[in-house]
Amino acid sequence: MAIKKMAFIVDKLPYKSETSRLALTHAIASQTVEIHLEDGENVEPVLAFIGEGVLNCLRNQKASEAYGVTTLESHIKNALLTDIKVLICEEDVKNYGLTEEQIIMDAEDIGADMPSELVPFSTIMSEMESADHILYF
Amino acid sequence: MGKLTIGCFSSLVGSMTLDFAVKLAEAARKKGHDVDMWLSGNGTMLSKKGQRSFKDYSSLEKTITGLVEGGANVTACEACAESRGYHKEDVISSFGRKSMDWYLASCFSADRVLHIGGE
Amino acid sequence: MKVGVFLSEHTKSNDTLDRLSAGSFSLVLVQNGVYFAALKEDGQKSSVLSKGTKVYALSEDLESRGLEPSQVDSGVTVVNYDGLVDLIFNEFGKTIWL
Repeated sequence: MAIKKMAFIVDKLPYKSETSRLALTHAIASQTVEIHLEDGENVEPVLAFIGEGVLNCLRNQKASEAYGVTTLESHIKNALLTDIKVLICEEDVKNYGLTEEQIIMDAEDIGADMPSELVPFSTIMSEMESADHILYF
Repeated sequence: MGKLTIGCFSSLVGSMTLDFAVKLAEAARKKGHDVDMWLSGNGTMLSKKGQRSFKDYSSLEKTITGLVEGGANVTACEACAESRGYHKEDVISSFGRKSMDWYLASCFSADRVLHIGGE
Repeated sequence: MKVGVFLSEHTKSNDTLDRLSAGSFSLVLVQNGVYFAALKEDGQKSSVLSKGTKVYALSEDLESRGLEPSQVDSGVTVVNYDGLVDLIFNEFGKTIWL
């Protein structure tokens, strides 16, 4: 059984450009990648937010009301709903003066069991080292 | 020989990043490597046929068509293209159009991946 | 195998680059990143070149910007696209584009 781990690393801010949005949509696309693969093959995605990218993870985004587009918050919650491992760099969250209460730590409101995790950068680095490929957005 | 998958999310006009990606793909093919190229976001602009060539702007239609004829697989994100008004009939005929999971499958089977995110 | 880090911007600092441990990666200067290979910062070579990593720069991007090989720091290896392909397959296990 061949599983390849892919690390989706996000360090861009949301909304001004679509880069972080594409990171989310590509990571979530791992849920349907099996249709292109052989039996027993699959992709294991890990989604990590670092640097300015952690600002994608702020709660209470209202871009759907302001611009009529899906929020990054809903994409992150959908990632959790599909059991994608979501890591958020705790040093960067702290550097921006943010608290855990301001960050998307779960998606229980849409029925997700998987929480996101605030982790040191070293943990994210370890995930990058153990990944087969790194997709840096 | 190996397989290189290049993902490029930058636009053709207004950036030189697609030029870089295409030149790298050409060099890899010349060395006998398999090459998949995934165009997403503004990168799907490369798939639009009939672009007029000006010296002040990157123009890669001939180059990319030659690259595909030479065996490279160039595929654009269908949703990204449709959202920009690049419909099936607007796209260079040798280009593929797929959903994002195709790119992940290409990465799965690649020996090396160079993912060039957006700008 | 090391991670091949492609640096395409010429910015004062890059958080991710600063956080990577020196032994884990090689640096490939492309696009505007090639300025680091040739320009001084306060009379000294760029701090980007002092991270204890192997550094490469893309010849086509140097030439495009009017930078001569003689201007490139002696610690930088200049490669063309063919050389870049060989690096990707033979020297780098993974790549990151910054």
